[in-house]
Order: sequence, then C-alpha cells, then structure tokens
Amino acid sequence: MSLAYKDLESGKIRPVLKVQEGETVEIFLENRTRLPVGFQLSGVERATIRTIRPDQTDHVTFDAPSGGTFIYSDPHEAPVHRVLGLHGVMVSVPRTPDTALGVPTPYSRHEQSLKLQKFFEALGNSVALPGAWDPHDPERQKIWVFNTIDSRFNRRLEAGTQIRREEFMSTFTPDYFTLNGLSGYDAAHDYNTVPKGYLGQPCLIRNVNVGMATHGPHIHGNHVFCLSESGGNAPSQPRDNIVELDTWLMSPMDRKDLLLPFCKPPDIPENAWPPRQEPFPFKYPMHCHIEMSQTAAGGNYPQGLVTDWQMLGPYIPNDL
Amino acid sequence: MAKVDFTETSVSGDLNFDTFGCNVYDGSPSTPDRRRPDRRFERQGAKGIKVNMGRGEELEFWTFKDRKSGRTTFPAPMMRATAGEIIHINLKANKNTHTIHMHGIEPTPFNDGVGHTSFEVGGEYTYQFQANRPGTYFYHCHKNTVLHFEMGMYGLLIIDPSGGPGRLFEEGPAYDVEAFWVVDDVDPRYRGINHSAGLCGEDAQLNIFKPKHFMVTGIPSRRTKRNRKVKISARVGQTILARFVNASYSRVRTTVYGLTTEIVGIDSRQLGGRHRPWCSPMLLEPGESFDTVTAQRRDLIFRPTEPGRYKVVFEFRDWITGEIQDGGRGIAETVIEVTP
Repeated sequence: MSLAYKDLESGKIRPVLKVQEGETVEIFLENRTRLPVGFQLSGVERATIRTIRPDQTDHVTFDAPSGGTFIYSDPHEAPVHRVLGLHGVMVSVPRTPDTALGVPTPYSRHEQSLKLQKFFEALGNSVALPGAWDPHDPERQKIWVFNTIDSRFNRRLEAGTQIRREEFMSTFTPDYFTLNGLSGYDAAHDYNTVPKGYLGQPCLIRNVNVGMATHGPHIHGNHVFCLSESGGNAPSQPRDNIVELDTWLMSPMDRKDLLLPFCKPPDIPENAWPPRQEPFPFKYPMHCHIEMSQTAAGGNYPQGLVTDWQMLGPYIPNDL
Repeated sequence: MAKVDFTETSVSGDLNFDTFGCNVYDGSPSTPDRRRPDRRFERQGAKGIKVNMGRGEELEFWTFKDRKSGRTTFPAPMMRATAGEIIHINLKANKNTHTIHMHGIEPTPFNDGVGHTSFEVGGEYTYQFQANRPGTYFYHCHKNTVLHFEMGMYGLLIIDPSGGPGRLFEEGPAYDVEAFWVVDDVDPRYRGINHSAGLCGEDAQLNIFKPKHFMVTGIPSRRTKRNRKVKISARVGQTILARFVNASYSRVRTTVYGLTTEIVGIDSRQLGGRHRPWCSPMLLEPGESFDTVTAQRRDLIFRPTEPGRYKVVFEFRDWITGEIQDGGRGIAETVIEVTP
C-alpha cells in the first residue's frame, strides 16, 4: 500500500501539473486519507498548504514560476509521506523560451545563461549534436521520478500503525527501487518512461528524486548534457556550465534536467556506421550505478531502478 | 562478415520478465559488423585473487585476468589505447557467464556488455568499438552487477589522444605526472555469496551494503598514505594529472588541502575547448570538496608552486544516511608530495 495525490477530474494518480510561467494556479486539496496531509511545491514557498485533517479541504493560489521542473509533496512529517507516495512533478513552461537567435529552450530568457544559449544554438549543427530540440513534440520530453521503498513501512501504513519520523529516518532500509513507480522489466517497457526517437531527435529528461537514497543514474549509448540542477527548496536554476555526463548525482529532493542528444553512439567504428548486421532499434539501459538499487526484495537483479532508451534508426524517416 | 544469429539474444529474441533478469540470454556469438582491429585485448573472468587487507586478514576478490601477459591483479589490468583505434576485447568466461561493459564508451548494444539488451558471454565474445574520444574510462562485468562489481570485476580503460600519453585530451592539458585514484569500499559479507545469488527470486540481501574496508586503487586505507600506487610524488613546476574513478557504492567526498584542484574532465569528456563553448573547467580552492557517486570520473590537474606534503582525504558516505561509513572509519587518505 502506498499514498498518492489523485487528480479529482481525470482520476490520474500523481498527475504531472503543467503550468505556464506567470499564470495564476490554484491547488485544491481534499484529504481522503486517514492521516494528516498537506501540499508543498519545492522552490515556490507561497505554494504551500499546511497540514489538513482527514476529510478536510483547503486550497492555495500562486503565480506559476519561471520555466523548470518542480516537486510537489506532503511536508507533514517529511519525508515520511513523500517517500510513501505523496509526491508528484510540476512542469512550468516559460513564456519566453527562445534564445536571442530564436532557438527554443525549456527556460525563460531572463534565466538563460550565455553557455546555455550557446548549447541550444549548437543543436543540429554537428555530428555530436545532430538535431534541434522540439518543445512541441511530447515524445521529446520525459520525466523520471526516483523513489525508494522500505516495504516494512508500507505494511505499517496498510495496518494503520503510526509511523514516526525519527524511526523512519533512522531505520529506513530500502528493498524496492522505482522509476516512475515501476521497476525493472516494467519500467523498461513503459511508454511514459522510455525515451524513443531517431538519430537527431533529442529528448529532454526531467529527473527528480523523491526517495531516501542518493542515486547515481548512469546512461549507456549517449552521454547527456546537464541543463539545470536544483535541490531542496531552491528555485529551479538553469546551469551556467553545461557539462556532459554519463553518470549523475541525485540527492534526495534533487531536480536535474538533462538533454539526451540522440547522436550516433560515438564509439561505433566510423566504417561500420550505419551497421549492416546489427538491427535497429538500438536499446540502451539507464540504471542507478549504486547497484544495491538494482535489486528487488534483496535480489532479482536487474529488477530495480532501471529503464531503457531506444534509438529507432540512424536517420529520421521522410514520412515521419 | 560472419553471419550473426540475433534470435538467441535480447536484440531479436523474446524479451520477457524472465529473460530480462533471471534467465538472461547467453552465448558465444560472432561480432556483428566486424572490422579489422588496430589493438586487441584478451581477458578472462572471473578470476579469483586474495588481497591482504592488513592485520592478517585476507579477502577474496574476483577480477579479470590479462590472457596475453598472464597477469591477474585487483583492480583488473588496465587497458590503454589511442583515440581513433578500432579496439577488440576478447572475453573468455571462466565458468558461468560474465560480460565486459566499457563504462563511458558508447558502442552498439551488442558490444555494450549488458545482458538484458544483448547477451551474457557463456564461452567467448569479442567486443568491438572505436575509441573516438580520449579520456578516463573503466570496464566492468555487468552480470548481477551489484555483486560482480563489488567483488572487483573492474579495471581502468584509458584512451590517450593521438600523440599518446602526456596529454589528457587533444587540446591538452599536458601533464608530467600521471596518477590513478580508484576509490572502492568492501563489504566482507559479499565474499560468501554465490555468483548468481538472488537472480531468480531468493533474498540474498543485495539491497544492503555495509562496507568495512576502504581502498584506493586496490590498496587498503591503512597503506594509502605511503603506497606508491596512490601517493603522488612530483616536483615544483610539474603538472600532475590524477584520474579519479569512484568504484565504490558510497557517495565519496574528496578534499585536497593546500592545492588548487582544476577539474578539467568529467566522465571522459573535456570541459571547455574550442568545440565546446557551453562548458569550462572548474576550479576548487584548497580545502574545497567535491562529491561523486559510483562510476563517476573526474580528471584533476594540480600545478604545485611550493614544495610540501599536501593531504588528500576521501570520505566514503552512506547512500541513505549520508554519514561516513563504518561508524566514521570510512576514510582513506593519501598525499601529494612535492619536492623542490
């Protein structure tokens, strides 16, 4: 058993909140659990609903922040309810996403660093960065939510036993590790999780860590470019130095936006590209390299925090 | 080119919950799209080796044997090549199945050494790639990785620029002294676990890791201050390159006292240069720390201007609590010794 925020209109569990920078957002919260719960948005202090009791309602109104990725979660006895499932992601779309040269980015113009602008303006101009990012194509954006489960506490939740923060913090021993609420084979076959595209179709991947563990996600096939990073309750912040990584550090409550360039995997021999024998799609894993996270119930490697990404072909088909 | 049958691999075979984890495809297929290599390495794994941890304690590690030289070391023997070369790595599995994943190298999935996207090596296989970017890489077994990597199945893979050692990347920097800091932590409990433990459902407690030993480049922390594989010796005016790899399961905090640290490369990629105006090297003040997680690499440059013994501290921190491992004993130290 876990907890979740549910969209009262669509019925979706842990819905992604999509807002546009500057617009007025109202969050209406109805507590249908047996526990006191609230609502908090990382990086937006105003967007907080303090604890409400079971069957109570409350709401909060705030202006949507600059473009970026945010975590919403329950601040009550944090991180207990957050880790048990009361969390989600908000994406803010910037009003002025373009660079001075008119190239779209996920960030507001006034927050873009010069290096970030140079990076986006370089997309599509080299073998290493073979395509521009299309903000209007939903296939070109994914969200990865990392979480940890200590199933002892989920059983206690189901039994209605009180879970004290101090005990949770001092004894938490995760035995399941999830990506978007899924593990292993399931996460590697989930439409919302697996980036797919042809060479030259870069994908923005918004990473957030709502769990208790520090993770070291590692991606195969392509390095990624780290566009922004924020932790805790800091505002979403595009980076001033766009570094290329194959492994990145995710502390609890970290948010990192990464761009997967969908370039030719650079170490395939030049005279063996495109391959004649090995067929597409090329499937590559992304997994946490702190390998205890690759387990489920103490074994079952690799049924933990892992997924795949897929390069469908070496060029974009004409009829796509 | 020899015909390659992909049907008994994850590339074209039926991929289901079972073949993803418990019964992963294995075999000895031919290398697809095979080209003539410029350099060839030969490895055998797993090969057991005993390491003296001090105070009379010996621990078992698994590693790869270099079949050409006959050397079996922990970490496994380094592979070194020059950018642009087509490289073949032939792996012979010594009983059971293993793989080699070249971490940071990005070849085709069949040459990437991951069972659930290709296959595990049951007999032998020749991995192929062209190392197109100089930098600091490492290779490791990607089967039941939580166990096989912890047991020591990894080694360094260094790709030099076209001029060979002495420069880190094509554009530099040039270096006079080269060092390797591969930090690792060791949980003795893992030594009693079967190589396939947990794969098909049993609870092997591989979600729990409690390290009791802390090492740098195969040297236990008791000896890292003096051991020549870890300690750096240089003269004033020389440029030192330290290639740092986090091969532990800890969040490692590294602090260099008395010297400015230039981070010039991350994860086998140059920071800055004429083709990368969107990034630049990072400078850390003396005493300023940087954190890494498993598998991250940092290329560090030091340019000492004064003689001295400069302390370097690696703190191994728990991935859940953030506290220093083993009740505060999870620390390794070394020095950069600079003479006039």
